[in-house]
Amino acid sequence: MIRKLAMTAATGLALTATGAFADVVIADVAELSGAGAAAGAVWHDGVKMAVEEINAAGGILGEQIDLREYDSQTDPQNSRAMVQKAIDDDAYVLLGTVYSSSTVVNMLVAQQNGVPQLTGSESPTITAKGNPYIFRTAFGAQKGLPKLGTYLKDDLGAQKIAVIWANTEFGKGGHDAFMAVAEDLGLEIVADVPTEQAQVDFAADVAKLASAGADAVFSYMTEEESARFLIEAEKQGLGLPIVGDTVIASQKVIDLAGEAANGVASHVGLTAEAPVPAIQEMAAKFQEKFGYGADHNAIKGYIGAYTVKYVTEQIGEFDREKFAETMHGLCLDAASHPGVLMDVCWDETGEMSRASFLVEVVDGAQTITKTLPAN
Amino acid sequence: MTRKHVHIAFAVIALALLIFVPLGQKNYILYVLTSWLMFSIAAMGLNLTLGYAGQISLAQASFMGIGAYVTALITLAGYHWVFGWLAAMGLTFVIGLLLGYPALRVQHHFLAFVTLAFNTIVFLVLRNEDWLTGGNHGLVGMPRPDFFGISTGRNLQFYYFVLVLFVISAGVFFWIVNSPWGRAFKALRENPVRAESLGVDTRRITLLAFAIGSAFGGGAGAIMSPLVQFIEPGSFALIHSLKILLMVVVGGAGFFYGPMLGAAVVILLPEVLRFTDGYYLMIYAALVIVLMVYSPSGLIGIGQKLMQQIRPRQEVRKDMAKGAQL
Repeated sequence: MIRKLAMTAATGLALTATGAFADVVIADVAELSGAGAAAGAVWHDGVKMAVEEINAAGGILGEQIDLREYDSQTDPQNSRAMVQKAIDDDAYVLLGTVYSSSTVVNMLVAQQNGVPQLTGSESPTITAKGNPYIFRTAFGAQKGLPKLGTYLKDDLGAQKIAVIWANTEFGKGGHDAFMAVAEDLGLEIVADVPTEQAQVDFAADVAKLASAGADAVFSYMTEEESARFLIEAEKQGLGLPIVGDTVIASQKVIDLAGEAANGVASHVGLTAEAPVPAIQEMAAKFQEKFGYGADHNAIKGYIGAYTVKYVTEQIGEFDREKFAETMHGLCLDAASHPGVLMDVCWDETGEMSRASFLVEVVDGAQTITKTLPAN
Repeated sequence: MTRKHVHIAFAVIALALLIFVPLGQKNYILYVLTSWLMFSIAAMGLNLTLGYAGQISLAQASFMGIGAYVTALITLAGYHWVFGWLAAMGLTFVIGLLLGYPALRVQHHFLAFVTLAFNTIVFLVLRNEDWLTGGNHGLVGMPRPDFFGISTGRNLQFYYFVLVLFVISAGVFFWIVNSPWGRAFKALRENPVRAESLGVDTRRITLLAFAIGSAFGGGAGAIMSPLVQFIEPGSFALIHSLKILLMVVVGGAGFFYGPMLGAAVVILLPEVLRFTDGYYLMIYAALVIVLMVYSPSGLIGIGQKLMQQIRPRQEVRKDMAKGAQL
């Protein structure tokens, strides 16, 4: 009897042990607290939802995903430590971080250890460093901004532009890319206003923009700051068209800024309002599951997790080196890879291209005004 | 066994632990331990300024920043790390003197404001002077040094390298606080008027404590460059000065082991409390408040209170009963 019990226990243990061993670890290093929580937590929920779906459908190559979360606290040094921890935990692929200032630090560790990393960051510098393990889930600002520049010039007829941007790694990248675009298109920059991360008072900045004699304002800041800026702009009656890239018209900013977000125009790579049935379906599911609307970060996280699945299935094994090699120059079409939601390609630097949209905020919701082809 | 023997035995055991515990640990643990040693050095410097000389400085992170950038620029230019380290400590010592000279005319919370402003200026210079500091993009790819053909490139080797620097720093710190200077620092903290009446040149001694404390910050910064291999202005903002201040206060300002204990708590506690999910920052903050109310002299103060219960004949140092005056 005792022997039988011991045998059963041993078999049980062996089974659980094998089960645990067979799981593939995917690490999500994100801004779950600190100034970037508005972006990182949403990204993480997107990842979580995709992983649950993948696991329910049988996992990757028959193995369940063991999703581990690591909080970077929106601190670049801490994000480096967390990536190190994720690699110690034998992560197959890393997802995150969203803030560019963190990604530029922690991608070095992933590179040294040969672990592929799918980031949500959009700063142009990320894919310009020749790191063969970094891949984007949304294209960099340098790809989106020319589209926005053309919109400002041709659709709005603006010649004089006032620029307000966050003086961080993310904001500086976008600012510099926009300046280059403005020069190419012959747009005149009449005000150039840098702001701080976690800045609360935008009164002086808005006053500066108002007195610059601009035809339109280009804004490039993260979620909470964008919302505070919009509220202040409405309060002071700025009265200029405000355009931006992705963040300014995101669901999070609309939720935070309320009515003040109405009228904002933006170029967005990903939006829950996109006229793409797969995205709308994903967004509806997300809303039901988490009780709030999905924004571009949620969609990025979702696509990131699915990309891991498709690429791994394509190479047929869990091999980090092959994963990185395969992703360079890879295109995934949404018809046969529904989890990527839209057709997408990665180039040799890990930069991606995908169709994008011009949106306007009307009555607290994004409205698509134009669909722009991939470039 | 005398009190001195107990101290020596404790130091030997602690050192043995620091040597053997990291063996076989994974990279993440090694990274956290190395960060802890680095912050302990920065906190030791602040302990000298705050705990021994009684002056509040909110600029320790900016001294780390200056040290880190100087070392980064020197090592990226192809020179050995040792030159960067010496330059970092030398420069922060001189800046400490220059800042301290006018700043120490004002003391206590006024000095806190002056150092707070200094920290902000350093942050802005690091961020805006792109040509030198790389601005927001920071500096990247600082090499880890070689010594006599031995590389510190791997995390375990780098840990031992930092451990050697830590032991040197702790030795220098111990020597300072037990030297006539150290006694002058303490005299100054307890009663500046009496210290001056006994012939202690208060201005000079305070300035010296501030400058040496700053140089420790610079030394810690020189370690950060090759440890993280990426530096950017945000890592040296005011919040990080407050973090180092918290290390000193939580551990116990004015105690030799205070900053080391404090740095361990500030770095490791969030990690230990992580299982509480979104609540850990709140719990952490609440614990610090409770600690400060119950024992203003920090964790070492709690230890002494407990020892007092067990061995009532041992009397707590009267000067430490209230903790360093914040």
